[in-house]
Parts: sequence; structure tokens; C-alpha cells
Amino acid sequence: MRRKALLVTLTCWALLAVAPATALSAPEDVANDIAGRITSPFCPGVTLHDCPSQAAADLRNRISTWAEAGWGPTRIMARLESEYGPEIGAVPPASGTGLIAWVLPVVVLACGAGIAVVLMRHWSADTRRARAGEGPEPISLSLSPSERRRLDDELAAFKGR
Amino acid sequence: MLGRPALLCALAFVTGALVLFFLGARKQRRDLSEAAARALAVTAAFTSLAVAALVSALFAHDFSLAYVVNYSSRSLAGPYTISALWGGMEGSLLFWTLLLTLFSTIAIRGVGSTRPVVVSWAGCVLAGISFFFLLLLVVPANPFVTMGEIPADGKGLNPLLQSPGMLIHPPLLYTGFVGFSIPFAWAMGALLSGQADSRWFASTRRWTLFAWSALSIGIVLGGAWAYTELGWGGYWAWDPVENASFMPWLTATAYLHSVVIQEKRQMLKVWNVALILATYVLAVFGTFLTRSGILSSIHTFTEGDTGIWFLPFLAAMLLAGLAAIALRLDHLKSDNRLDALVSRESAFLANNVLFVAAAFTVLWGTVYPIVAEVVTGARLSVGPAFFNAVFAPLGLAIVALTGIGPLISWRRMSKGALGRLIRPPIIAGVAVAAGLAVAGVRSVGALLAFGLCAFTAVSIGGEFVRGSRVYRARHRLGWAPALARTVLRNRRRYGGYVVHLGVLLIVIGFAGSAFKVERNAFLKPGEAMSVGAYSLTYEGMSQARTSEKQINEATVIVRRGDSRIGVMHPQSNFHFAQRQPQSEVAIRTTPVEDLYVVVTQFDADGSAAIRSFVNPLTWWIWAGTAVMALGMGVLLSGGRGEVAPAGARSTVRKRVVVAG
Repeated sequence: MRRKALLVTLTCWALLAVAPATALSAPEDVANDIAGRITSPFCPGVTLHDCPSQAAADLRNRISTWAEAGWGPTRIMARLESEYGPEIGAVPPASGTGLIAWVLPVVVLACGAGIAVVLMRHWSADTRRARAGEGPEPISLSLSPSERRRLDDELAAFKGR
Repeated sequence: MLGRPALLCALAFVTGALVLFFLGARKQRRDLSEAAARALAVTAAFTSLAVAALVSALFAHDFSLAYVVNYSSRSLAGPYTISALWGGMEGSLLFWTLLLTLFSTIAIRGVGSTRPVVVSWAGCVLAGISFFFLLLLVVPANPFVTMGEIPADGKGLNPLLQSPGMLIHPPLLYTGFVGFSIPFAWAMGALLSGQADSRWFASTRRWTLFAWSALSIGIVLGGAWAYTELGWGGYWAWDPVENASFMPWLTATAYLHSVVIQEKRQMLKVWNVALILATYVLAVFGTFLTRSGILSSIHTFTEGDTGIWFLPFLAAMLLAGLAAIALRLDHLKSDNRLDALVSRESAFLANNVLFVAAAFTVLWGTVYPIVAEVVTGARLSVGPAFFNAVFAPLGLAIVALTGIGPLISWRRMSKGALGRLIRPPIIAGVAVAAGLAVAGVRSVGALLAFGLCAFTAVSIGGEFVRGSRVYRARHRLGWAPALARTVLRNRRRYGGYVVHLGVLLIVIGFAGSAFKVERNAFLKPGEAMSVGAYSLTYEGMSQARTSEKQINEATVIVRRGDSRIGVMHPQSNFHFAQRQPQSEVAIRTTPVEDLYVVVTQFDADGSAAIRSFVNPLTWWIWAGTAVMALGMGVLLSGGRGEVAPAGARSTVRKRVVVAG
């Protein structure tokens, strides 16, 4: 059961991470998607898609022209990297040092989840042991004096039955 | 000028407050702590005077001050003159310090009567933080630097900041950031005084909620500002400045949930102190990131040399916080254990793991370019594609847990009972996802998001129905009065549910971005383009001139099918003082979708470069925020004694044995 849940979770994550939001059919969609995946050479720290400068608009137009000419995303990216260098990419590569960017959040989540599960099992095992060895487990009740009197009366009446 | 002397006096008084609070705490002398509290109040008064001096200089166009020259001009519209206070680094730090000293004074006065030693140590922490910010204002970020030669006019405020959103967004963000210093100080006060039970967070519960609410709304308003001002068709770009506000929000949200476990079960004490420490440190870290120029951002308007001053302060906060936790680790042991794996405690713990992993993801993505540059020497950047890919699954898991949490009882629950309760939400979620798939939706992320939102909405709705049903049966009320009584009798619980419903609406809005359409065209007057189901005809351009800017406005006729549904007027303007072009976006908004039109360029022959977007469901983000604000109002209106922390109540530990 747990393995199935883990498998479903990992599959969903992989699908979400890999699948584009929608199928990119029109050349303009391909161009817009690429513009959102590269850093603007004209606005540091901003993707080409979000950069408001005229030079960025011109580069977006060039990418659209390439997409309309039938160039695929790989060829367009190769062209951009040859012109502006590999640092134009705004997505860490899934290899080399770039891989750390992708893997570390998953490792942190897995470690956090693992620690939480171990702690929860440990704590609930403590409780089970206490319950098995000492009879019913203590219950923490917040009672007003009148409620406490009533509980005592009820218990006394129950025992006296 | 009063400003500079007022700041020097504030620094002197806060130094006195710091020393007096420290001595009061060490010697356990209430008179010293009371004197320190008065010194802190005087500090707030002098800081207010400095702010008043700067604001009056801005309104009086006193161009003898460099700050007034750099961030205002004679033509700047009245309300935006106020924005100039936080439009520059020195002014924003002054405003931050004003909030800090005011909040500190109010918090110490408000909860000062109980546990004087905790309050003295908390006051010491708050006075220390105020000292740091006042030192910044006196040394590297003096807002009252004078000009050698007085110019006739100022450079004006950045046109992007001349927006109604900028009147509210920064003050709300600062209120959130500064507000978290109160629970942080109380946590540290509790640790340093050795009274690290659960009362420290009960004393500051409203402050935490207040700060979290302000930060939440501030973040969304920032998104609304980006949407309407920046002209790229979106509201969130995972930009370092956006991330700087989002990281503390994530850890604060984790804290708000996990502190409930400490309240109810006296567990996770170390974790809660660590979370509030992380929240405050991340708030300061965000300020460091955005003021040091270490990362580039489209939102950074206040970059300067001050950033480097934050590093030692940040290190001191973190190390002192961790040392205090280590020192009092024996006071922070859990009083109770987990009863069963299927329990609300487990759901809250899972929620915390996800929120902290989400905060780490944002932090890691934000600092990765710096790490990569140090390690490889290459200047890299991390854009929205990375954040969306890693964050979306975490976000959806959080949505799922938001639905599961209310179904599980505290301590333990049988799997059968959980199965019965969870069935309707699962049916709703699967039905919605399947219905949308049949209707042609192919985005996996959107299907999961809509399905999980339906699951969680039904789960939360069930809580309202079950609560109302009890009041209907007991008091023979109609549904509406029973619902009102349900919410008003337990505002914390149901206020939280209303906030969760607001979050679901926001998630629906985010999911709509999967169907976003963008089209760009260069049109001559009379030519048309299509975007989604709309046809846009560019009619031509008109020009006007004000003292501030040259206005170039396009007229765009909007048709859907054969029917004309409106006219839109996007602008591409040129601001004279800043010599800066700026696009004014035209948006036609409905609950179904926004039509978003920007004109990026006009040619001499009247042709226009037009970017157009159809953004489905964006309206629901703003609607969800309004619902969240309503829930926050319900939460904050809850009485202090509505649900007292377990430690503060007269708890009777009793072994209930049923004798045969």
C-alpha cells in the first residue's frame, strides 16, 4: 500500500515536472515558451519573455521567425547559446553541477519526510508500549471545577451500580 | 532640519533601552524594565518625528535633501509623494524602523504585565534590532543627506512606482516582515529567561496572525502590481524580490499550523521556536538579498551599499537564536507523544515538512546562481521554469493535505471512520478531474489542481455543514444563522477554513495559467490580429502631453466572433524626468478570463507592436485573496480567551479507569 502511494506520488511529480502546461503546437507558442526559459541579455535577472526593452522584443521576434520557419526548440536554443553563450539558459541543465539544482530540493523533501515518518513511528510506538504496559493511557482533560465534581459523581455512581 | 537630530536622539534612547532591558532581565528588576519600555516609546516618538520630517520635506519639495531630489519632483502627483517615502532605500529603511519601534512599544505595553522576565528579554531583543536599524539610518543610509547645490527640480519617482498598488503593497510587506520580529523576540525572550513553555506564542498569537495576514495580502498586491504595471502578462516571475517575501511567508505558514500542535498537545516545541527563528532570519535575509545588489531583480528599486551591513546582523540573529535553542533544549521536550500515525498531528507534521521543503526550494533556487558562480565561475540564472517544475508538486501536495487535515481527528482515528469521511471529497475530486478531461483539458497539472481543489473544497464544506447541523438541531435554527453561529463560536477554526477556501480560489487562478495564450503582432492602423477567441483591430494612435509624460495611446477594437465587445486603450508613454518609457496595460477582466493588451512600440508611420494575452481564471486570484482577507478578519476577531493554550488552562491529568 505504502509502496503504491510512493509510486503514485513520484509518478505525479515526474509528470508535473516534465509535462509542459499545454501542447505547444503553434510556432508562436514554441517561441513564447523558449522566451520564458532563457535569461534576457538586455535585462539582467529577467527572462526574455518578461523583459520590457525594445532589444528584447526584437530578439523575441527573431525567435518567432525561426519557429515559424520550422526550427525546433533544440535548434533554437543551440542558436541562442552560440550567440549569447550557455549562460543564456534560465533553467539549470539536468547534468553536471546543474543537476544539483534539481536534486537537492527532492533530497531535502525526502530527508524531511523520512525524519518525520521515523519520528512519528517512534512516538506512536512509545504510546503503544505505554498503553500495553500500563493499561489505559492517561487522558489529558481540561475540566472546570464543576465539571470535575460532576465526573467524580458520575464515576462514583457508576462504580456503585 | 529636525530629521537628523531626531534620528540621533532615537539612537541614543534605543541604546539606553537596550542596556536597561538587559539589566532588568539579568537582575530581574521590574523598575529597570519599565524604564527601558519608556525609553523604547521615546525612541518610537523620535523615529516618528524623523519620518514626519522626511514626508514634509517631500511635500514641500525641499530639494536641499538628496533623497527628495532622487525620489520626487514638483510634478509628482500628491498621493505618490507618500510612496516616495518607501521608494528609495534610505526612506524604506526609515519606514521599516518606524514600524519596528512602534510595534515593539505596543507589544511590550500590551503584554507587559505578565511574566516580566520574558518581556524584559523580548524587549532586549527588540531594542537590539531597533538599534541596528537606527545605526543603519545614522551611518550608511542617512535619508537626510544634503545637496551641495540645490537643483530646481527633482529626478522624480520611478514611473513603475507611481501606481495605486504601490501605496499599499510595500507598507503591507514591511508590516509583515517587521511584525514577525514580535513573536521572534518573545520566543527568544522565553528561551533566554528559561520560561520556554507555551505561553510565549499565546502572548503573541495575534501579532503572528497580524504579520502573516499583512504579508499574505502584501504579496498578492505585489503580484497585482506586476500584472498591471510591468506588461508581461503575468503576476509572478519567481524573481528574487518576490521570493524574498515568499520564503518567510512559507515558514510562517508552517509555524501557524505547527503551533496548533503545541497548543493542543504540548508537542513540537523545538520545531516551533526553530520555525519562528527561520521566519525572521529569512525576512532579514530577503532584505539583504534585495538591498545588496547581489542578485538582479526587476523589482529592485532600492539597491545600495547598505546590504553588506545585513550580513553580520543576519549571522548574529541566526547564531544567537540557535545558541538559545541549544541552551534550553531540556525545556523544550514534548509533554505528549503521538498516539497514532493516522491523526491530525501527523497531518500537521506532513504539512510542515512540505512547507519547509517548499521554502528550501525557493531559497535554493534564489541563491543557486550565486552558488554556481562561486563553484563553477559561470554566471547562471534560475527562471520560472525551474521553480514551477519543483514547486508545483509541493503546492499540490499541500492543497491535498489541506483537504485531508479537517477529516482526521486529533490523537487517533480509525481507518474505517476516515474512509467514510474521505469518500465524498474523493468522489468530488475525481469527478471534477474526469469531467474536465472529458471536456478536453489535457494539462496534467491543471487536472490535478482542479481535482484537488474540488476534493479540498468538499472536505472543508463538510466541516461547515457538520458544525451548522449541530446548531440547527440543538437550537432549531435556519442554515444561515446556524452557519453564522458555527463560525462565530469558534473563529479560529472556521476563520482558518475560510482562509483555506480563499487559497483554493487562488490555486484555481494559478491553474488557469496552463491555458494562457499569447500572441504578438506589428499592426498598421486598420489591421487586425487574433488571440484566443478574440479579434483585435488596431484603429490608430493618439498623442497627448502632460508636465510629466508624453502619452501615446492606441485604440484597439475588441471583437468576439462577429460581435464587438469593447474598445481598449493600451499606452506606451515616455516620462520626461526619468527619461524612461513605460507601457500602461489595458485589461478587460471577467471571472472566465482576462484579455490583456500591451503596446510596446509605435513607429513613425503609426504602426504599433502589440502583445496580447488571454489569461484564463486570473480573476479568481484576486477573489481568493478577498476571501482570505475575510478569513483573516474572522481569525483576528477571535477573543483572546477563546481557546486558551493547554499550558495556561487548569489541566487535570487523570487516569480514567472503568472498573468492572
